[in-house]
Amino acid sequence: MPTTRAAPEPGTRRRPPTGRSTTWRDRLHRFDVRYVPYLLIAPFFLLFFVFGLFPMIFNGVVALRHWRLDEPDRTGWAGVENFRRLFTDGDFGNALYNTFGIFLLSTVPQLLLALIIASMLNRRLRAQTWWRVSALLPYITPITASTLVFNVFFARDLGMANWALGLLGIGTENPIDWRADKLHSWIAIATMVNWKWIGYNALLYLAAMQSIPRDVYEASALDGAGPWRQLWRITVPMIRPVVIFTVVLSTIGGLQLFTEPMLFDLNAQAATGGAGGEWQTVAQLIYKVGWKDLNLGYAAAMSWALFLIILVVAALNTLLTNRISGGRK
Amino acid sequence: MKRSTPRWLRVAAVSLAVGSLVVACSGRSTTGGSGSGGEVTLTINFWGDFGLQDLKAKYEAEHTNVKIALNSGEYNAQHEDLQKKLIAGSGAPDIAAIDEGFIVQFRSQADKFVNLLDSGAGKYESNYLPWKWKQSLSADGATQIGLGTDVGGLAMCYRTDLFEAAGLPTERDQVSALWPTWDDFLAVGQQYVAKTNKKFVDNATNLFNPILGQQQVGFYDEGEQLRMDGGPKVAFDFAVKAADAGLSANLTSFQADWDKGFTNGSFAVLACPAWMLGHIQNTAPGTKGKWDIAAVPGGGGNWGGSFLTIPKQGKNVDEAYKFLEWLIQPEQQIEIFKTVGNLPSQPGLYADPAIADFKNEFFNSAPVGQIFPKMAEGLTPQYLGRKNGPTRVAVENVINRVQNGTLKSDAAWAEAIKEADKANK
Repeated sequence: MPTTRAAPEPGTRRRPPTGRSTTWRDRLHRFDVRYVPYLLIAPFFLLFFVFGLFPMIFNGVVALRHWRLDEPDRTGWAGVENFRRLFTDGDFGNALYNTFGIFLLSTVPQLLLALIIASMLNRRLRAQTWWRVSALLPYITPITASTLVFNVFFARDLGMANWALGLLGIGTENPIDWRADKLHSWIAIATMVNWKWIGYNALLYLAAMQSIPRDVYEASALDGAGPWRQLWRITVPMIRPVVIFTVVLSTIGGLQLFTEPMLFDLNAQAATGGAGGEWQTVAQLIYKVGWKDLNLGYAAAMSWALFLIILVVAALNTLLTNRISGGRK
Repeated sequence: MKRSTPRWLRVAAVSLAVGSLVVACSGRSTTGGSGSGGEVTLTINFWGDFGLQDLKAKYEAEHTNVKIALNSGEYNAQHEDLQKKLIAGSGAPDIAAIDEGFIVQFRSQADKFVNLLDSGAGKYESNYLPWKWKQSLSADGATQIGLGTDVGGLAMCYRTDLFEAAGLPTERDQVSALWPTWDDFLAVGQQYVAKTNKKFVDNATNLFNPILGQQQVGFYDEGEQLRMDGGPKVAFDFAVKAADAGLSANLTSFQADWDKGFTNGSFAVLACPAWMLGHIQNTAPGTKGKWDIAAVPGGGGNWGGSFLTIPKQGKNVDEAYKFLEWLIQPEQQIEIFKTVGNLPSQPGLYADPAIADFKNEFFNSAPVGQIFPKMAEGLTPQYLGRKNGPTRVAVENVINRVQNGTLKSDAAWAEAIKEADKANK
């Protein structure tokens, strides 16, 4: 044994565990190893149970009951009556139709444009950071603030949208009333959604694109593939997980659309989505039935229906995206 | 494992932190209660302008332990919010304003409000218009949930400058003579539109509401049956006719574009109950002196008017009643009338020179102290059902669809019945 390590024998210092204090310390150690990890992750689960799981289960219970705040006497178990009513409710059908319409008008162009912008940002550009940051600016703008600005933009009489269209000779005689019919209101709302999320998705795509090796592009360029072909044949298949992720996220977000249609209304708390429900989304209808018509049972049933619809659509979209972007399954 | 701080120090630090948290939490709850001698904050929820801004300062100066928080919100939202808070059992304001359009819904839940008869409000009964007092009284007559603030009455506000430009008379009696009936009003409107190529009224819904207010029976009869074929049909048909004739600027009431319309002269006339005067003054101060007030076509009627109630769940119901009682005294009621135009519902005050001789400069010195009281005294108000509020919103939306061209006017009435039925469910 070298003399440099002439420290006292470890064994002589660590006495055998005797006496109360060491036992206590041992227990503490065991507790630390065994239970503290649970304690440390407990806050998340506690919050999840209180604000996630419990409301979902409670919502399910409410959906099976009559519960009206305006007529407190009308209470009791309803069975599946609330759910059955959904199938014949014209308002729910209309809201579903609007939601899908706005969803298509927003998600498809949004993700395509994000892809194209990302592939442009992925090249060597001047002031690269500046471009990337400005792509993200809409995302960090508070949604209420941007929607209020868009409201002015899409005003019937003095709005910028009509002014710009007027320069092209559209609607000079009879300006477009953006809140009067389905198509125009959908376009207006989809524009707000696209504006906000294109940059965010583009940055996600960009992050994924940067992990694609350069030589793949060089090889394909040698084989004569243009930028468009490279985008679809190389980039998209190689960032497939991120594409699927964004498709699922924007499906969920699109089907739960609430703030934009809500604030697009001239009377922002009416929740009717226009005088005839032209752009009332399902989330808006749930809010209206629950908190304005004060029919909580029926609103809860609608929430569950929306939940199931989102599950199905998100699953379908995942399959579809997987196939389009060249997945095997 | 070297320890830099002794254990006792860490224990002390932790217990200090925990202790201060506990103190911080409990500290809130002790000051939130209603100390009888301590400071009290009274919240009042209402919509539009109840003329309370100056009175609040005055009351706070006289009662140094009371703070008053004014919370103005959207008309429908305030009523829906109150309903939620009443059921939830907490969160309601100390004093809640309720419009006559919603009062039946709330008086049928009289047990959730302080019975003002118990607080000694019974002595004011004779001061009020008898029907106003009854509107907020529970069906068995045992509970008074609110004290009346104002009555609407009905008149037409018009822009003298725009009338002059269109070659119409501008003097208020001559203008009243132009339209003894609503059909005459329509003819004048068409004349105006043809001459100026501008719109005549703000919105067809604001023709629907006053005409409905002039009918014997509104949406619901006293048996709570929906009666669309009576009064509502008369008012609806005229509103659609006016929309078809191109009279309406199609601006949604109490929204930004409507407010802009006052300044821009987007319309020349609007139906104005007394409470509308304050809104016009606030939104378009630049149009001072350009307005005047004429009689409403088709005789008298009422549109709107409110009550102040005290939800029972409040912690400061006694202080709230003290403030409410102070507010309905003649001095304060006259003050409100002068600042925002809301006409008191206590007819004894109409003879008071402060009201009777009051001329509103903003409205070209119109004798508002004569116009509105005359209307209020001769009124036989209609019964407004429990679902009056939601039903009105639903039918207004149908009229809006006719105006923006998405609903054909001959299909509109069937649609209105359908929507009203839905709101009644």
